[in-house]
Amino acid sequence: MTAIIPSATLLGVDGTSVSVEVHLSNGLPSYTLVGLPDAPCRESRDRVRAALLSSGFKWSLKRVTVNLAPSGLRKGGAGLDLPIAIGLLVEAGVVEREAVAGCGFVGELGLDGSIRRVTGTVPLVAAIESRVVVVPPDCFAEAMVVDRHKVRIAGTLSELVAALRGQSPWPEPPVYAPCPVVPDGPDLADVRGQAVGRTAIEVSAAGGHHLLLSGPPGAGKTMLARRLPGLLPNLEGEDALTATRIHSAAGASLPPGGMVVRPPFRAPHHGASAVALIGGGSGYMRPGEISLSHCGLLFLDEMSEFPAAVLDALRQPLEEGVVRVCRARASVSYPARFLLVGATNPCPCGEGGAQGSCRCSPASRSRYNRRLSGPLLDRFDLRVVVSRPDAGAVMGGAPGEPTAPVAARVAVARELSGARGVRCNAELPGPLLDRLAPLSPGAARLLEHRLRSGLLSARGLHRVRRVARTIADLAGQPGPVAEDHVCLALSLRAELVPAEEAA
Amino acid sequence: MTAPSPAPLPPEAWVAALAGLPAMGPARLRALLASSSPDDAWARLAAGASLPAAVAATCRPDPVSMARLWRGAAGRVCVADTWAAYLDAGVTVGLPGRRGYPPELIADPDPPAVLFSQGASGALDGRRVAIVGARRCTRYGRDVAYELGRDLAAAGVRVVSGLALGVDGAAHAGALSVVGAQPVAVVGSGLDVVYPASHGGLWRQVAATGLLLSEAPLGARPEPWRFPARNRILAALAEIVVVVESGEKGGSRHTVEAAEARDRQVMAVPGSIRSEVSSYPNSLLADGCHPVRDALDVLVALGLSVAGDLSSASAAESRPTPPPNAADVLDALGWAPATLDELCVRTGRSPGVVSVALSDLQETGWVAERAGWWERVAALAGRRG
Repeated sequence: MTAIIPSATLLGVDGTSVSVEVHLSNGLPSYTLVGLPDAPCRESRDRVRAALLSSGFKWSLKRVTVNLAPSGLRKGGAGLDLPIAIGLLVEAGVVEREAVAGCGFVGELGLDGSIRRVTGTVPLVAAIESRVVVVPPDCFAEAMVVDRHKVRIAGTLSELVAALRGQSPWPEPPVYAPCPVVPDGPDLADVRGQAVGRTAIEVSAAGGHHLLLSGPPGAGKTMLARRLPGLLPNLEGEDALTATRIHSAAGASLPPGGMVVRPPFRAPHHGASAVALIGGGSGYMRPGEISLSHCGLLFLDEMSEFPAAVLDALRQPLEEGVVRVCRARASVSYPARFLLVGATNPCPCGEGGAQGSCRCSPASRSRYNRRLSGPLLDRFDLRVVVSRPDAGAVMGGAPGEPTAPVAARVAVARELSGARGVRCNAELPGPLLDRLAPLSPGAARLLEHRLRSGLLSARGLHRVRRVARTIADLAGQPGPVAEDHVCLALSLRAELVPAEEAA
Repeated sequence: MTAPSPAPLPPEAWVAALAGLPAMGPARLRALLASSSPDDAWARLAAGASLPAAVAATCRPDPVSMARLWRGAAGRVCVADTWAAYLDAGVTVGLPGRRGYPPELIADPDPPAVLFSQGASGALDGRRVAIVGARRCTRYGRDVAYELGRDLAAAGVRVVSGLALGVDGAAHAGALSVVGAQPVAVVGSGLDVVYPASHGGLWRQVAATGLLLSEAPLGARPEPWRFPARNRILAALAEIVVVVESGEKGGSRHTVEAAEARDRQVMAVPGSIRSEVSSYPNSLLADGCHPVRDALDVLVALGLSVAGDLSSASAAESRPTPPPNAADVLDALGWAPATLDELCVRTGRSPGVVSVALSDLQETGWVAERAGWWERVAALAGRRG
């Protein structure tokens, strides 16, 4: 007879259901594990054996075959230790077959028989179809997030077997109380002056518009970018669950409540590889930074220092909200719908703004500017120049508006855009702009003038309209977009890398 | 290998070939030509004879390897072919005292040994004013250079400049906008090496309607050391040198020093004391140079006009007066570039209000935006180009 124990393995950020089949037969003692296990999985044999012996069970001297079905799918991680051990115990008759009917198991085994946590509990548990699922104690909170199963925990193998046999009750799960989420993070009041920078991050947060900050070192670009996440509203429902699954799959730590509620903020260093940023890698295919910032913010500081290939790899996810990683064995697609904020210097020496202060040669300047390719720059709806604040404002000026009132305005604006049927204004489809974000006659005239004089492209036109709609929402004006809103939208979208002018 | 040519080549051919040798700078060429006639000099180099003392002195530290280098290079060049190439390109090789060499340069303290030219040599017959300045100039500098070039050319003055980015190019663009103008350009690279590439159009127009000069042979790259050498020729050919915009350490400084060494008058265009690129012209003014407020000031200095003659004064302002809120923003902008944020700080208004004002000003032609920086545009009146 074969014992079949439900479990799961990770594929990208999603779990797939795996059936662990254990078969004992007469013959020379041997242990065979099939089903494309990867290295940690193949090592399970020794862990399971030691765990069984440490827990006082016998290691059967028969011919053991373990199959991880479906056999064409690569199995990863050590989470299949526990179902293999349970399967062996069922076959050996130590545990009744009926006792484990309808139970799924996930967990790594220690050599002393303890059951250890696994990464990716949320997607793994979500993939298990059984009514009951047994997980390590540390994974209880994550398993509860899925909210579909009866979750049981066990700290050691002997504890688990005793509970399955009915000899002792199931261990008590830790107290699971979702705690209220307090947005922590730097406050906007720390920023002195910088009226345009503040406006830009407010508009970016309210409408989901990608933002590029350009300026000399010390202007405050990083400071502004780090205060943007505080303006974003909490994640809800499907978004929160997806973000939690991704964090769990990547092995990133989850907040105490178990669910990711605050929009994630990721700021990879410019030395990060393309795989670290986009996702992939051999075998395991872990999600990258752009997936970890799904429904949150990805901040690329010193954007021009990122390799051009890495930046170009961002274009497709920015467009589609999804990144597709294809390997020979499997293709995975991760969600990657994030708000992109970039900070860059205008030129290698950093002083490029006002003419005359820049110490760079024209060649190095144009080489620097070429790293941010035209199509990538075009994805930014907001492109602002941030200059160093006045000494007076920094030393003595009044603190600016704190995060709370600005976040409140952003929340109201987001509700207005939600009523239009999109998540945020940046996702307003082009063909529907006339219906969902109509222009007043003055605004239309101004935009037409810009189009004709070549200062605005057709694609730029759509982007400016979306930003203008967000500005109107922030001003509390639900009617057609007025000329003033369009003026501000145009000012916030400077052409930061102009073509070289011939005299 | 040098093949015997059917007709004897003129000295220009030999000098052109000598100038084309690697590492043959102006000083070395001059020393070489001072010691023997061009064809003799070539023959000596090709034979690998030891260099005359005067030439060796310019080839420190290792004259022997230089002689070896020249012998090898000379062996690979056919002088007749080189000469034919120059004739085909329409380039005149000017030797001192012979056709194609401006007489003004003969008495120069540091005259070029050879001057390559393309275009009408008659372009130099007339009053000549050099307009020089920074490559990284502001919109103001570019506009002023353009207008000076245009108005001086309209008055029949030859505009002399270097065809570099920024002020030089703008001055010539202004001059070329006047029909019948004959601008003069002195460049640092060979006459067939257009540098910078974006000035190809200007280059060709100057060669077609005016005169293009260079001390460098055909094919010479625009190496950095050629430009100070070029600046002295600019100063030598001009009667007045006008500095439009320059940082304290710019190349214009060298042109000014060369001009003063040759007793040429230097004038400067004043600028905002807050602008980095007006620091040098302003300090020239502080040292006693005359200011240039418009082309009339230059014409008066040339003696072509009398102060008060309004013939080249700018026409009436054709732009509509900006409305009051926009006028405040225009005042706050001044003449130096500023970001939107700086304007908000100066006017004390929100970005929304200031951007509306800037939009109005941009539509009526009072301001322009470049890479996020806003600049005030000088008068549009009379701009035909």
